Amino acid sequence: MSNQTLALLILLFPAAGAILLAGRGWRLPRIFTVIVGPGVVWASFVATLALLFAKASGDFTYWTWIKSGTFEVPFNLLIDNLSIFMSLVITGVGGLIVTYSVGYMEHEDDPSYARFFCYMDVFIFSMLLLVLAGNFVFLIVGWAMVGLSSYLLIGFWYQRHSAVVAARKAFVMNVIGDVGMILGTFVLFVTYHQATFQGVFGRLNGCPRGVGQQCLLPFTSGDTFNLELVGFLFLVGAVAKSAQLPLHTWLPDAMEGPTPVSALIHAATMVTAGVYLVGRMHPIFDVATYAHNAVAIIGAVTALFAATIAIVQVDIKRVLAYSTMSQIGYMFLAVGIGAYTAGFFHLLSHAFFKALLFMAAGNVIHAMHDEQDMRKYGGLWNQMRPTAITFLVGSLSLVGVIPFVGFFSKEQILGLAFSKPDDNMVHVLWGVGFATALITGFYTGRMWWLSFWGKPSPQRPVEHPHAPRLVMMVPVAILAILASVGGFIQTTAIGIGPSTVTDFLASAVGSQRWEGGGAEIAVTFLTMILAAGLFAWALYSRPWSAYAPWAQRLLERKYYFDEIYDWAFARPTDWVAGFALRDIERPVIDAAVVDTGLLARAGAGGLSLTQSGYFRNYVLVFVGGAVVAAVILIVRANS
Amino acid sequence: MSTLNIGGSQLDASWFLLLSAILFVLGAVGVLVRRNPLVILISIELMLNAANLVLVAFSRQLVNIEGQLFALMSMTVAAAEAVVGLAILVDIFRTRDAEDIDDLSEMHG
Amino acid sequence: MAIAVFFVAAALAVLGGIGVVAFHQPIRSVLSLVVVMLSLSVIFLLLNAQFVFAVQIIVYAGAVMVLFLFVIALLGPARELGRGRLRFQGWLSALFVLILLGLMWGLLQGVQYRQPDKGDLSFFGTVQSIGVGLFTTYLYPFELTSILLLVAAIGAIYLSRKRIDDV
Repeated sequence: MSNQTLALLILLFPAAGAILLAGRGWRLPRIFTVIVGPGVVWASFVATLALLFAKASGDFTYWTWIKSGTFEVPFNLLIDNLSIFMSLVITGVGGLIVTYSVGYMEHEDDPSYARFFCYMDVFIFSMLLLVLAGNFVFLIVGWAMVGLSSYLLIGFWYQRHSAVVAARKAFVMNVIGDVGMILGTFVLFVTYHQATFQGVFGRLNGCPRGVGQQCLLPFTSGDTFNLELVGFLFLVGAVAKSAQLPLHTWLPDAMEGPTPVSALIHAATMVTAGVYLVGRMHPIFDVATYAHNAVAIIGAVTALFAATIAIVQVDIKRVLAYSTMSQIGYMFLAVGIGAYTAGFFHLLSHAFFKALLFMAAGNVIHAMHDEQDMRKYGGLWNQMRPTAITFLVGSLSLVGVIPFVGFFSKEQILGLAFSKPDDNMVHVLWGVGFATALITGFYTGRMWWLSFWGKPSPQRPVEHPHAPRLVMMVPVAILAILASVGGFIQTTAIGIGPSTVTDFLASAVGSQRWEGGGAEIAVTFLTMILAAGLFAWALYSRPWSAYAPWAQRLLERKYYFDEIYDWAFARPTDWVAGFALRDIERPVIDAAVVDTGLLARAGAGGLSLTQSGYFRNYVLVFVGGAVVAAVILIVRANS
Repeated sequence: MSTLNIGGSQLDASWFLLLSAILFVLGAVGVLVRRNPLVILISIELMLNAANLVLVAFSRQLVNIEGQLFALMSMTVAAAEAVVGLAILVDIFRTRDAEDIDDLSEMHG
Repeated sequence: MAIAVFFVAAALAVLGGIGVVAFHQPIRSVLSLVVVMLSLSVIFLLLNAQFVFAVQIIVYAGAVMVLFLFVIALLGPARELGRGRLRFQGWLSALFVLILLGLMWGLLQGVQYRQPDKGDLSFFGTVQSIGVGLFTTYLYPFELTSILLLVAAIGAIYLSRKRIDDV
């Protein structure tokens, strides 16, 4: 089986799964759904592994979609180490999550059960299309379909009004990002008349041909402006998809969806699409320095911003949502300063521990009969030991404690930011990241202590929670193991050891050009110790909100972003829509249609008066017509 | 050319045409004005006869037998049409009493 | 001589036509039409149309008119009463009819006669010539006409059949 076929199969498996489940799945026994739903994802994983071991690389074109003169848009897949890396994350972690949801969604009735897995397969397909696509058009197709899947899955329990509203909010914000993507693609089309990645990157003026090579030659100023514009437009797309400031408000609301959805889409994969985008477009961002810096700044600011809000959340999933937002900020920071491989390593490790955290939280929620308020938990360490342990592993990973994978990935980023030469702005951003790491320690600790330690809360809905089913525990356990040992594939954060990810991805995105020093490692360990210390302190900390209630309110209201957006955008749009309906749609358009009908009726009414029913009238008209015709003929004959 | 030598005298073909025109117009008046359906049918027959006269007159003027053949066909068709028309009339007015064509005005818009 | 015959026959025809339109009793209209037909047959004879003359009397005056008489007998003698419902019909009809008459007179002025096709009148209008025409060149229309008569006969029988629910 050739690499070309394998690459296409990676996409076809989840597509086939989605179609099967959409068409017949809910009429067949549940076992069918259980096998097909996760099965196709694992099949794609196997196909990706095959490509990995075959060291596949290439731009495979399957057919030409648009061909207009010299402008061509093929359906092609670009297989390089970056796309294989992303595929592995998507299908591997995705496979674990989809398998987990076989147990989590067991209370659904058959049609809904099949619908869930159908949507999950659609999502997997779209995300794979996004990362495998070899040209901008199909990248955008995958991008948009991922947004659609997110909408479908957030609003999965559509009978709930809050879920529907959240789904709509997510979709609208995603569309804003889509517009940015499309406009950016337009600018690229206009500048380079190419649609494929290799086509555009090859034409970047002065760049040696081929993807993955860093451009070291200077550019002409005209090109640079276009590329800056493209960079900012793509940044809009990335910000919307990855829930960074200012298009972040949809992510906490997206927690209305089932927990596996939160794990898969809003932790491990979809929200990392923005990071992938910046990585894939690195030839552009390497040149567009303003846009590149903007990526880093947005990432760092969002990281701090989200971490502060996470402190006051009481819903366990919301804490994790804000923590996701914050960690993606780290990834943006990494790719924004040029440390692409570090960013992707953090993407991988975040996929591990965040999916782990969400699924373990899902175990707790499932056992607590869908109660998500942490204040009503307490004392679960004694009653749900395995879940508590896995949750602890994830939490320590999030905080960045050795030897868990989060330590290696997060600290690598911070270390690189600290030691980037001759760049004061990046050092400021390091400071922001440092502060965020400390706050992360605090809110994570609070989350863990509240849920698992101490005495059971008197408001507990369930006295003796049941242990999770095997199908829900095994994926969590696997991820816990991965989070524990996964860090050792890249230990550059401590200055020694392998750098597997960096080496693997270097051919696709290049590796950063500077090395850290001893100071970097010292700072790394300092960060870890302080963060872990805050984790522990969170158990004993007094409520600080008594001293500054305004701060508590500010954080609880998420810095009033929702209110601002409502006033700035939602209400004016509503007003315009109302105006259009009242004053344009009804009087002009509806009336035009209705009036045409009335006109036809009036005409017919008028004409029907000639049908009197009297024979003699008809004969009169007959003769009159003959007379008129004869007159005309005679006049014409004589003239 | 329009003069016909009939029985030694010279007649003009246009006289026949004029007669035909008068008869035709009389028939048309009958169709338009009379209200008895039977009389309307009779007026139609009058119009047909006028047409036959034109045919035969031109047949004689051009010395071409086809005009008379056509007149024969016309007569046949007129007979058939009168038969069917009368059958319909009989059918309609068998059950009704009044014989006024204005009563048959139900097919109106 | 022929001219006199023509004018007499023409006058009779016109009077008969006026009678058709003018009489209130339908029986009188029918009889006026018979007068018209007989006059026309004389005119046909003048025009060397012997066969057509005979057929006109036998078929038209003899069969079709008799049919009309039977129908009048069936439906009863009716007189048209009153002024009818369409008051403007008479005036408009008069207008159109006058225009029609004027048109026809105008047309007659412009008739362009052409030379006769043959000069020999010995064979013209005889039964033999009609027979030759009908059975050679115009055989097809002749046969179709017979079918037409068949159809009319069937139609008439069907239309005037007795309904079961009628007395």
